[in-house]
Amino acid sequence: MRPISRAALRSYVCPSCRHGIGAGRRRFGTKTDQATDIYDVVCVGGGPAGLGLLAALRASPVTSKLKVALIESQDLNKARSWNMDSTQFSNRVSSLTPSSKAFLQKIGAWEHLDTQRVQDYQEMQVWDGESGSRISFDWSMETPAFEDPRTVATMTENANLVRGLLGRIAASGDENLTLFSNTTVAGIENGTDLQTEGPDLSAWPVLSIKPTGAAAETQPSSRIAARLLVGADGINSPVRSFADIPTHGWDYNRHGIVATLSLADPDTPPFPANMRTAYQRFLPALGGPIALLPLPNNNATLVWSTTPENAAYLKSLPTPAFLAMVNAAFRLSMTDLKYMVGMAQPASEATSHEDELSWRLQHTPIPAHIPPFATGVQTGTVASFPLRFRHAAQYISPRVALVGDAAHVIHPLAGQGLNLGLADVAALSQTIEYAVSHGMDIGDLLTLERYSSERYLTNAKIGGACDLLHKMYNIPGQGPVTWARSLGLDVIDKLPFVKSFLMKNAEGY
Amino acid sequence: MASIRPRPISLRALHAASTATRPTCRHFLSRFPSASPLSRKAPITRNHSTSSVSPDELSHFSALASSWWDPMGPSRILHLMNPLRHEFIASCLADSPPPTAETTSAGTSTAANLHYMDIGCGGGIFAESLARTIPLDPSAPAPTATRAASMTAIDPSTMLIQVAREHARMDPTVDAHLRSGKFKYLNTTLEDVLASTSTSGSSESTPSTGEPLHPQFDMVTLFEVIEHIDPTTTTPQAFLSNCLRALKPGGWLIGSTISRTFPSFLLNQVIAEAPWPIGVVPRGTHEWSKFVNPPELHAWAQEGLMRAADTATSRGGPSALEGMRWKCMGTIYVPGLGWKMVPGSESWGNYFWAVKKGV
Repeated sequence: MRPISRAALRSYVCPSCRHGIGAGRRRFGTKTDQATDIYDVVCVGGGPAGLGLLAALRASPVTSKLKVALIESQDLNKARSWNMDSTQFSNRVSSLTPSSKAFLQKIGAWEHLDTQRVQDYQEMQVWDGESGSRISFDWSMETPAFEDPRTVATMTENANLVRGLLGRIAASGDENLTLFSNTTVAGIENGTDLQTEGPDLSAWPVLSIKPTGAAAETQPSSRIAARLLVGADGINSPVRSFADIPTHGWDYNRHGIVATLSLADPDTPPFPANMRTAYQRFLPALGGPIALLPLPNNNATLVWSTTPENAAYLKSLPTPAFLAMVNAAFRLSMTDLKYMVGMAQPASEATSHEDELSWRLQHTPIPAHIPPFATGVQTGTVASFPLRFRHAAQYISPRVALVGDAAHVIHPLAGQGLNLGLADVAALSQTIEYAVSHGMDIGDLLTLERYSSERYLTNAKIGGACDLLHKMYNIPGQGPVTWARSLGLDVIDKLPFVKSFLMKNAEGY
Repeated sequence: MASIRPRPISLRALHAASTATRPTCRHFLSRFPSASPLSRKAPITRNHSTSSVSPDELSHFSALASSWWDPMGPSRILHLMNPLRHEFIASCLADSPPPTAETTSAGTSTAANLHYMDIGCGGGIFAESLARTIPLDPSAPAPTATRAASMTAIDPSTMLIQVAREHARMDPTVDAHLRSGKFKYLNTTLEDVLASTSTSGSSESTPSTGEPLHPQFDMVTLFEVIEHIDPTTTTPQAFLSNCLRALKPGGWLIGSTISRTFPSFLLNQVIAEAPWPIGVVPRGTHEWSKFVNPPELHAWAQEGLMRAADTATSRGGPSALEGMRWKCMGTIYVPGLGWKMVPGSESWGNYFWAVKKGV
């Protein structure tokens, strides 16, 4: 627990522990002369989670009067004016579940998104590259046959989402709202007891913030106190460090390669015409699944989880060879793929990746539901990021709450990371709404425990399920695990109620 | 992490309770000069014949003072119930708002114009939460359905009032209300509040009341109090009459208590006060024999309304009951889910009740 003054600690720590903690207490007597602005909610981090929280608070009539601030080290104006040609797509794309989309619609943010750039998909094909076992996810067991198929998820560029949320926040006016753009948190400490002149802020987090870049030299840092400090500041959350909340987890020793691809026309046109499918194939021999998720106009976003060595190799390939590898990864056997990621680079005159692929395809049985050939890579979109698992020991501390990646980072194989963050934000904004309408202090543990009890186990469950899938699908060869997971997949695929239960869980219903 | 294990009342704590001095509240007393003779008159071990305060109960709750605001401490169950108090008050106001509220609110607009008194505020769990809803700008619409304009909270325990004031300072909004006088904690008893205002007519009256001689409140709250009054010096009947005297015509007296039935004995004496980890309240918090059944309360309230209408020259008759309203709602604590309002569960244990004084 962070050092809090004795008077404030009384409320939270048993008497025997209090003794030891109080001893290290610091005094900030010299800082009292500096004016401290007091805010109800200070959110550190202007990503989708932080902006989502702000937009949700501004949208509710109960919480719209709260004095809120957001601190972001990047330039929010750039995010606000983000613009991309309609044929180009950013490589940072997330799959929003219907409940995330419903939340965005509820807070009025969805209408601020450019919906020309988002793509629904109604079906998901997942199969095991080792055994060929397959499962398809769609809502056909829940919807009548003659209705349009229900959406499984919606692909949305993060930049589009961030810009939409900023637009929603701007539409709520600027009363009681401060956006500290290009600003970093220089330090967080507890406030002081103003004794006779004012309130006792000794258990309140007070942030020293200062502008980044050139302005840093000229402008002094300012101090703001937070009734509730929200850490939406990512995996290395400074807010979490301030609250002294430990985080547990591991690195997967895997990298996710992303890219924006353009696809060939499918062999058979989709039916109904607007039906889109997402594909994911587990490649136990290469260390993780490859997924191709639809974007508008026959584009798609690639997420390929693999070992850092394979990732480095794939990124070093020239575009035609990279495309050949992507197409091979959805089609060829594990043995072929292992051979192809070991090919000399640059490829010798005799064999290129493209030739290798077309020769091997002649000798490989091709299953029914596979994505069309990838024909092009949008320039500059091939990138990779390390995959990690983290879960904070708690989401809350007196006057502190963690949301999004600050609280949990999970394996992206189910595309749930951003959705969990938005669900956190939905739960936290509802908790704040309840607290305000019932006279509760929004930073009090009794308030925040409502948020934490709603989210902690759900996030642990989904994070754990993704971890389990990752581990199960990293065992290559034809062993008992491969046999068991393939049987499991085949059985679930034939039991609509189990499948529908799983899908509802994944959706957050 | 503090556990919810009930703490035994140590001798040291009792000693602290009985020797509590008041240097820390001096600045507060100087702000409210009229409060100072009251507090001096009310040493916490008093056994004054007119006081409704039981010395045993006083020492029990004073001993809990240090952990009163511990979210995991012995008062956790009370903290969890607090939001429901707001909901119950809101439901009473929705049924029938006091006349002041009606006259000043045109149509659906809701001005924050209700003056509250919380009797037996303890460490201030309810009083502070209500004070937080008082708008800083008096002309602003009420942020919540409870529509508070001011809050006066009284408790006979010096220690608890001290704890309450200290905790209130940790919230700048509540601190501002304490400083402006919209929110005050008084270390006194209901009898003394009534006595002081009917005899001296001092500044004790609330800012907006038209009649300076009586402390007139739109809303008087009495949460978990009636089952703790001293049966040897007063009766719940007399105490309720006094509560109703503090109420403006058309105002609501709202409280919560526990009914005296077999299920409530099982729940509140056997299970709730069982040793950790089963129990949720400290041993000795409740005395089953002091619990009150809803019909008893209803009858006392009627009698109290008539007595409150008594003046020096005339006796209040059944006419005092005209326009009276009675409301009752059972509530149950479900481990893991928290408190739930369950209509019809009044006789099982905890319940909220409300009496509206006729206009």
